[in-house]
Amino acid sequence: MRMTNEEIIRIINDSLIKEFELDRTKMVPEAMLYDNLELDSLDRVDMVIVLENAFKFKIREEKEIRDIRTLGDIHKFVINKIRESERIS
Amino acid sequence: MNLTVFPLLVIMTVIGIIVSVPAFFMLRIIRRMEPLVIIRLFVWIYGRAWLAIIKPFTGFQAEGLKKGDFKPPCIIVPNHLSFFDTFFMGALPFSDVCFAVRAWPFKMAWYAPFMRIARYLDVESASWEESFEACKRELQRGGSLLFFPEAHRSRDGRLGRFYSGAFKVSVATGMPVVPLCITGTGRMCPPGRPLLKPAKVRLKALPAVNPDRFPGPDGHIEMRKFVKALMAEEIERMDISHAV
Repeated sequence: MRMTNEEIIRIINDSLIKEFELDRTKMVPEAMLYDNLELDSLDRVDMVIVLENAFKFKIREEKEIRDIRTLGDIHKFVINKIRESERIS
Repeated sequence: MNLTVFPLLVIMTVIGIIVSVPAFFMLRIIRRMEPLVIIRLFVWIYGRAWLAIIKPFTGFQAEGLKKGDFKPPCIIVPNHLSFFDTFFMGALPFSDVCFAVRAWPFKMAWYAPFMRIARYLDVESASWEESFEACKRELQRGGSLLFFPEAHRSRDGRLGRFYSGAFKVSVATGMPVVPLCITGTGRMCPPGRPLLKPAKVRLKALPAVNPDRFPGPDGHIEMRKFVKALMAEEIERMDISHAV
């Protein structure tokens, strides 16, 4: 069944909150990963693993990951990735 | 307490700096010790002197920190409540320990030269790859690492979010993690408070956790969660026993 964008965003936020013990009130799309959510460079690597486990896809080789700065960027990236795989299948 | 501890701390620091210069060259020439090993030894002795100063006001107790309770090289992960937590590391059973800390301690003029010679790691300024390589080198030469996995001092006394660095190094190198539970330093000197107040301080090292138990690409994440849960449980127990 096709997930809505809202469902995808909820899964992303819940996964990140659970894995990185983040404050739910800070989970807004404009939140900067480093400055607002206080994720470090290693967390970015872990974030990829967390998202791969949550959505059962492989993204660690994707170049766009390097451009991610905000939580909204993650939402967009994952939504695009899922829609792309839906088109292919 | 403050009228005793702070003057003694200043005297101890000044004497330490003065004595450390000839002592450094003596140990270097006579014992042929590496500079970083000498400075780490001095830091450890400084911590021991701190424990002697502070004991009457804290009833300081250490558990699981006797020689042989855990062996180097290993990765020590204490919780973080106060600026003075690092001073209590004089209670560790060995001195060859590399502190992996944030950038600001390197800006303290009276400590920074010692930290640089001791090759402590500024994990905030360096990239993760640089820090990781430095950690591996340190463990390969037989030194131990000390990370505060929360990165910041806790503002409310509760165990904060754990970062993964220490656990990633453990899983990658096969070196065990030693959880070190601290209670009381937050009551003695919480963040943002300039003066000390008497409080019972306890340090308890838990049995070393082996990374072999956490295989796979997210092994370090599982290890981080496991160690945090162990520490949270033990700190709660220690806090309750304080209250009794």
